Amino acid sequence: MLVQPSERDVTIRLVVNDRAHQFDVDAGETLLGALRERLGLTGPKEACYEGECGACTVLVDGGPVASCILAAGSMSGRAVRTVEGLARAAELTTLQQAFVRHAAVQCGYCTPGVLMVLTALLDEVPDPCESDIRRALAGNICRCTGYQQIVEAALDAAASVQP
Amino acid sequence: MSVLGTSPERSDADAKLRGQAIFGADLSRTGMLWAALARSPVAAGRIRAIDPAPALRGDGVLEVLTSADVPDWRTGVIVSDTPLLAAGSVAYEGEPVAIVVAESRTAAEAGARAVALDIETAEPVSTPEQALEPGARLVHPDWNRFAVAGGEDIGRNGNVVAEVVHDPGDLDEAFAAADIVVEGTYRTPRQYQAHLEPKMALATYESGRFTIEVSHQYPFRLRDRVAQITGVAPSAVRVVGHHIGGGFGAKLDVSLEAFVALLARRFRRPVRMQHTALEERLVAPCRANAIVAVRSAVRRDGTILATDVEIVSDSGAYANNGPALSSIPMFVFGSIYRVGTARIRTRNVYTNTAPTGAYRGVNGPWLVFANERHMDAIADALGRDRRDFRLASLARDGDLMRNGQPLTEASILREAFDRVDELAPWRDIVSRNQAQRGIVSRNQAQRDAGARTSQPAESDADVLRGAGQAAAIWLTNPMPGHATVKLNEDGTATVITSATENGSGAVATGLRQIAAETLGLAADAVTITMPDTDATGYDAGSQGSRTTHVVGRAIADAAADVRTQVLDRASRMLEAAPEDLVITDGVVTVAGVPAASLTLGAVAQAATWSDGPITAGASYVTPTPPHDPACATGMLIKGWPTPTYHLHQAEVSVDTVTGRVTVDRYVVCQEVGRAIHPDAIAGQIQGGVAQGLGFALSERVDLDHGRYVQRTFKAHGLPLAEDVPKVEMIVMEHADPAGPYGAKGAAEPPIVPVAAAVANAVSDAIGVPFDTLPITPEAVLEALEAEPNGETVARAAREPVVNRDGEQERETTGRAS
Repeated sequence: MLVQPSERDVTIRLVVNDRAHQFDVDAGETLLGALRERLGLTGPKEACYEGECGACTVLVDGGPVASCILAAGSMSGRAVRTVEGLARAAELTTLQQAFVRHAAVQCGYCTPGVLMVLTALLDEVPDPCESDIRRALAGNICRCTGYQQIVEAALDAAASVQP
Repeated sequence: MSVLGTSPERSDADAKLRGQAIFGADLSRTGMLWAALARSPVAAGRIRAIDPAPALRGDGVLEVLTSADVPDWRTGVIVSDTPLLAAGSVAYEGEPVAIVVAESRTAAEAGARAVALDIETAEPVSTPEQALEPGARLVHPDWNRFAVAGGEDIGRNGNVVAEVVHDPGDLDEAFAAADIVVEGTYRTPRQYQAHLEPKMALATYESGRFTIEVSHQYPFRLRDRVAQITGVAPSAVRVVGHHIGGGFGAKLDVSLEAFVALLARRFRRPVRMQHTALEERLVAPCRANAIVAVRSAVRRDGTILATDVEIVSDSGAYANNGPALSSIPMFVFGSIYRVGTARIRTRNVYTNTAPTGAYRGVNGPWLVFANERHMDAIADALGRDRRDFRLASLARDGDLMRNGQPLTEASILREAFDRVDELAPWRDIVSRNQAQRGIVSRNQAQRDAGARTSQPAESDADVLRGAGQAAAIWLTNPMPGHATVKLNEDGTATVITSATENGSGAVATGLRQIAAETLGLAADAVTITMPDTDATGYDAGSQGSRTTHVVGRAIADAAADVRTQVLDRASRMLEAAPEDLVITDGVVTVAGVPAASLTLGAVAQAATWSDGPITAGASYVTPTPPHDPACATGMLIKGWPTPTYHLHQAEVSVDTVTGRVTVDRYVVCQEVGRAIHPDAIAGQIQGGVAQGLGFALSERVDLDHGRYVQRTFKAHGLPLAEDVPKVEMIVMEHADPAGPYGAKGAAEPPIVPVAAAVANAVSDAIGVPFDTLPITPEAVLEALEAEPNGETVARAAREPVVNRDGEQERETTGRAS
């Protein structure tokens, strides 16, 4: 006989950083909570809890979303990429390397979300101008850097993958 | 080759970019309990009853504690006025009233919401003005029973937490001799740090000792405060620091740590807490709101004969560090410009609002705002060019600050004016802005006349441009630091210190570079520890730009000792005199004999097994500069050590239709002693200016009957990537003899002059003085509408000034059209 899942728990299937997972989540559990507490991925950060600062940003099916306001239960079948899924083994991505070169990391708490937004931007617009980058970052608050070194890193990353 | 003045990769960059860096908010422990606070929903009131029953019915809730269950003494950094949990009455919205312990975070937070609080509300003392009214209700009727650290007399009286008075007594004479008297009142709101990582704490209790794991700017203060609150010896508390997701001053004092400590001892399990979104907003120790009234006696030749400064700052419901910060006006008025005889009174007052605290630059941004708005007002009243008037008024080498401390390098500020002018010439900017005013004026006249011309409006016909300058002399925090440097057996070095990396790179790169430079290593051959109060000497934390200067000096001294030991051991191994040896890139060589060399690893290995491991420790604290101890009453900060020099110049456009202010160009000239890591300094300048622009133009922290109006993150109006221009920077180096390789501090001050420079620029643009922050589009439109026909827009006239007979006279500004 078929057992109806209770209202409290939902089983979801999620591909996270190219690995398939299946697990139960509570009703009301956020995608951020599931990633951090069930999968141990603490790269996406808990910050404003309100979908306003961007520190929790992950890519869902390639697009940036605020994982702190998404219900984990509604994510079944989706592909999620977190900051942990950017670099391959020892090698940082072109964007991450540009962040190192441009001293674009200070406290580093906004960095995972900023990287995800810029990764998505560079996937979509390989040759963005400065205002494209600043506009893309409209949902990411960085209180440390004043954004300049982040913007320069993104421009540099775009230039270094261009022919 | 020197590693100083280069920008090597910071040691934490890779982990932070991969999402591997574990911040405080990422910490977890097996068997961990969670706790959450029930907080006062009202700004003032009497607690009638606290009913824990609804919370205890929740799944997983273990216990609810109130003031009866925790230590009942009050504590504080300066004034012991703060209870751990409110007993009898509450003094601000958000004050902790009860604590709920549970098996999970959700259970603890649900329990905290469920605690039934019966509070008889009282009319709050909402503003500092109210607090000072005769007969005002006392925020703490028993204020006189609170102890003050060191028994100091800080001028407490009722709602006045602290009063600092500097009164040389001969002001009346100066005002009688004045040609004009210029007055201004400068009002600034609170500013919210908006660090992204919420406050958290994790405690364990083992074998009679607490271990607190946290992301905190000042682990040793935390050690001492947890000890003070829990009633144990400081050595019974160990604080271990983790990566900090921003602090900007908000993570300098105790917040949740004492709660988790007490609960860890009570339950013998690890206990974790973390602020909810609303708690972050409600109890952040914002920069204090303040009112600064300045009155100056001025001669027609521009000499300022006397200045009378009356300051009120809002401490909120508890004293925190407000009494100490009340000394800072003594280092702003009369230190940058000659302001004649000065009387300065600062009162820090209690209100029924969340306690204010330290935010980058503390009182600096609003003191410099007042000082520099006032300089513009005087220049306008005299009809003088504002830059010329500043240059004529600049303090000179040998002048005394109000505390009697000699200004030994005041001429650096004059150099800064020259350097900025080379990059962005003031006269060109002023005449260009003047021409633009003509365009706007003509456009306005045509519009007023209802003229229909065949000519389309000129471009930017509604945009007024203005420029402003602001200067500051800011301190490098002198408080103590210590470092141990050890040469590892592989020839690398480790620096052991509790200096905290708060994002600036001071620890992650600057301190490592200083050690590397002294030891002849590459920067990446030096590792540095995370804070641990058990394992290191005292460190006064990430505040006031002190790390590079104070801890850097300790490291330079310790590394020099290590170097001496290396040369001693190597001289025996190479059979050469120590003074003939050089260390380059990790290799010890006999000068001129390249074949006679040893790696540092070989020296370290041999030394460890012969004389013992090579290590050395050193301490440093900046001496208090010479000063006059009798200069003022109530002063807790006596001197202004290791000053740095700053000039900011802002150019803005003001859209007269939308009221929007755009910062077109922003130039910073900053003196740093010696630039250790230029890219990190650039990051501090850019980031500090961004925070300052927020304070000037967009950030809101409003209070309504003692309660915060902005209750979500976004409501604060923090600057976004599209709001912040690229800052142009001139970094000046005037080596400090006491600093490591001449370095002073650099990270804190870039925020200090920003609001002043921007407000001067906006005031210049539209000819209406902006003496209140923030300068929002609404405020701009209101100012423009208040002017009949918008005439002032083109006229750029200033507020009338009052002469000594009390008659109003309008001065010609020299820019009238």
